[in-house]
Amino acid sequence: MKRDRDRGGKAAVSGGGGGAVTSTGKGKMWAEADAGMDELLAVLGYKVKSSDMADVAEKLEQLEVAMGTTTMEDGVSSLSTDTTVHYNPSDLSGWVGSMLSELSVIPDQIGVSGNNLINDDDLRAIPGGAILGNDSESAKKRIKFDSRSEFLENGCSPAVAPPRAVVLVDSQEAGVRLVHTLMACAEAVQQENMKLADALVKHVGILAESQVGAMRKVAACFAEALVRRIYKIRPQVEDNSSYADVLEMHFYETAPYLKFAHFTANQAILEAFAGAKRVHVIDFGLKQGMQWPALIQALALRPGGPPAFRLTGIGPPQPDNTDALQQVGWKLTQLAETIGVEFEFRGFVANSLADLDAKILDIKPGDFETVAVNSVFELHRLLARPGAVEKVLDSIRAMGPKIVTVVEQEADHNGVVFMDRFNEALHYYSTMFDSLEGSGLTQPDSAQDLFMTEVYLGRQICNVVACDGAERVERHETLAKWRRRMGSAGFEPAHLGSNAYKQASMLLALFAGGDGYRVEENDGCLMLGWHTRPLIATSAWRLTAVE
Amino acid sequence: MMQFTETFPPPPPPLHQSSVITTPPSFNPMNKNQVLRVGSWPGYFPTSKSLQGRLGDANCMEQLLVHCATAIETNDATLAQQILWVLNNIAPPDGDSNQRLTCGFLRALISRAAMSGNCKLLSAVANVHAYADPTTTSTHRFSIIELASFVDLTPWHRFGFTAANAAVLEAVEGYPVVHIVDLSLTHCMQIPTLIDAIAARLDGPPLVKLTVAGAMEDFPPMLDLSYEELGTKLVNFARSRNVAMEFRVVPSTSSNGFSSLIDQLRLQQLRRAENGREALVINCHMMLHYIPEEEEEQTLTYETTAASLRTMFLKAVRGLDPTVVVLVDEDADFTSGNLANRLRSAYNYLWIPYDTVDTFLPRGSKQRQWYEADICWKIENVVSHEGNRRVERLEPKSKWVRRMRNAGFGGVAYSEEAIAEVKNMLDEHAAGWGLKREEEDHLVLTWKGHNVVFATAWIPI
Repeated sequence: MKRDRDRGGKAAVSGGGGGAVTSTGKGKMWAEADAGMDELLAVLGYKVKSSDMADVAEKLEQLEVAMGTTTMEDGVSSLSTDTTVHYNPSDLSGWVGSMLSELSVIPDQIGVSGNNLINDDDLRAIPGGAILGNDSESAKKRIKFDSRSEFLENGCSPAVAPPRAVVLVDSQEAGVRLVHTLMACAEAVQQENMKLADALVKHVGILAESQVGAMRKVAACFAEALVRRIYKIRPQVEDNSSYADVLEMHFYETAPYLKFAHFTANQAILEAFAGAKRVHVIDFGLKQGMQWPALIQALALRPGGPPAFRLTGIGPPQPDNTDALQQVGWKLTQLAETIGVEFEFRGFVANSLADLDAKILDIKPGDFETVAVNSVFELHRLLARPGAVEKVLDSIRAMGPKIVTVVEQEADHNGVVFMDRFNEALHYYSTMFDSLEGSGLTQPDSAQDLFMTEVYLGRQICNVVACDGAERVERHETLAKWRRRMGSAGFEPAHLGSNAYKQASMLLALFAGGDGYRVEENDGCLMLGWHTRPLIATSAWRLTAVE
Repeated sequence: MMQFTETFPPPPPPLHQSSVITTPPSFNPMNKNQVLRVGSWPGYFPTSKSLQGRLGDANCMEQLLVHCATAIETNDATLAQQILWVLNNIAPPDGDSNQRLTCGFLRALISRAAMSGNCKLLSAVANVHAYADPTTTSTHRFSIIELASFVDLTPWHRFGFTAANAAVLEAVEGYPVVHIVDLSLTHCMQIPTLIDAIAARLDGPPLVKLTVAGAMEDFPPMLDLSYEELGTKLVNFARSRNVAMEFRVVPSTSSNGFSSLIDQLRLQQLRRAENGREALVINCHMMLHYIPEEEEEQTLTYETTAASLRTMFLKAVRGLDPTVVVLVDEDADFTSGNLANRLRSAYNYLWIPYDTVDTFLPRGSKQRQWYEADICWKIENVVSHEGNRRVERLEPKSKWVRRMRNAGFGGVAYSEEAIAEVKNMLDEHAAGWGLKREEEDHLVLTWKGHNVVFATAWIPI
């Protein structure tokens, strides 16, 4: 989505004011840091000198207030509680994608050096009081209006007349600039140039105001995450797992991803349980147990009658010592009793799956019961501690399962280099937010659901961007990597059949709400994505036969 | 052993078993008759306390279907998806009769969901068609031979034919001209046996005039030849029995209450009144339920009260002063405007054809495919269509009886000979078929005790 500026053939992406300013570790640039900084700040619209950092700190506070991040618990900023409904999905992920592919080009073209003249046009295009003074409000409004009509035009509505050319460029510019500023900020963080990072992140906030829909929300989430990283603000402590469960339930309702995960995993489990008289499911993350009623019901009505069903649910400790697992287990037991399935539930509280082993779980000897191990979004958390995932995979082997179902985010958020993680996450979550934007929300609670879903995703973003070490648990890895891991641990793929694929496609076609969801089959695994980008992958595994 | 613990805050013991919960010792695994919702959690199935049902499994499937229908109507995507997933796994298209029945309903619900406003129609329909089994969705066009033998396989239609023919013969005895208006779903398959009976039992025999409403709509079973061709064959057949026959087609449609047919008959009425000795027989075999029964505002009428086309049709027939009217139809109620109720009604009736088919058609036979495809057509019509497109609007016998009485008809009892004939016919078929007499005038075909088809005869009073 480049727009060629008509001055000297300079590519728009190289950006004048507000463009990404990177300093890719070139020591010489930092010799002129302060002077460069002043110029940069002036370019960005700040009439401050680097010596006036106190002032900047104050502005940062204002940013925090504006973004609603005054308490540690809050998730996404108030920028995302926009009550207007934005009609069309943005092309955010497309932009981000193209930006990322140009990333390698940027450092050479950008710098606060003589040739990149800052033009009045650029400054005028920057919304906000710093440059435009009294004109800021109307300018903001103008840009907001036209960026929406630009979105409408870019979206699918044929009825809207194309907007005026000048403003079209500007709003595109602001979006492009936003992404660049985010990436520049991340780069600055990686270089530990926190002053620059701080200034850039504030600018992100301002630019984000001119955006609508997914772009705005994603920018806000990432900006907040960057702020936390810059200021080493402890992320919200993961002590309230019931709140996390609530958020995940909203995610479950709003988007098809978790539902897809459940019915594809359940299909594999149901088929693996064919003919078995006693079955045992070990759920690595029971949460609200949403996955199990459908499976229990399907088992109840299968030809030959239901098996005896044992469910072992694992969950984290509760801060107030309430036994959340027991509550869920109780409900499932009642459900099973009503439906007519002999059922037993056991809950295990564990800080980490690595604390478990097969003996504790009381797995009965192989012939007595058929075992399935189910993990939805749990394995990647183990990568935060060395050796943990291998230990867990070994203990899965020891459980002797007939089938192991694994659902994971299809993303590479565990790279060693911060910038890599940041860019990957930006692309991934942009796509995710795009898909939410595009879903037809018809239920009365849908606005609330959507907001909570955004909080849910925002927390993941914060974890990927702002945390490190043992705290960074959102260490998503791609299916290709999980395949290698599972292979090394002694598992071989169990192909999800065409039945699972057809059902998933059909159910999504009927109910997903958005037009862009795609189910893909990938060598026996199923992936759900938005347009061309897969976002979640379900795979099934069995023990490699020992000769 | 490696210990993985948090550094903050002080953790509870790293692993402990929180609880073991089992179903209570008094648990009765036979209690399979309920489908459930737990609390207010989204995505769990609703409870149902009703336990009536023939078989536990069928009852459960019915409840799942009903809940699914409701979920689709209320846009509860989560619940609908869950139930569809379950149904898809427990109702294979080649399973036992309950499973095949449920599969037909499942397909109809998917069809309905695909047509509802919330789906992206093109992709949804495309996916649905890829998903559907083509062998059960297309309906076959029968040749005469195929249809004749098809109809003979089971008492479903033979019952009505036998009872109707008996009533007709009694009513038209002595008339030199017999005008039969055949409004039949089975495209005159009743007529050859009627001609035979006329040839055998009536002096003369009389001249037979046969009028049919040319099929302008396509309800299964569908014919692969035109009514003109059909008529020629029938006339030839009658001639071979020494019965002179005239055949006429009046293009007319049930969707407007056969108004053009009625008009034609009214014209003829004048001639008939002059001649004096012409019997008029209106033979309705499973056709009248296609006439819309909803009250309609008439725009070009002097009537001040709105009357349904069904009511008007019967009034018009009464106005023709017929010699006898035979009304045969399926005894079920598909008229509810509420989808869940309608689905329940349909499920609790259409299990019958699935249940009977094992007694007269082997698995895998083409005829069985046609038979079940026709049932699926009905299911789809009842469940996934609305408005004008929903034509399968069965009404139970009690309602038709009331309609006929309101229109000025009185019932005619069947003679003992007629009943014996029907019984003999039933003996040629499986043991589950039975015969019931209700209210003295009405004959009802039953399967395992459940009402299937009723046959009634009427004269003007």
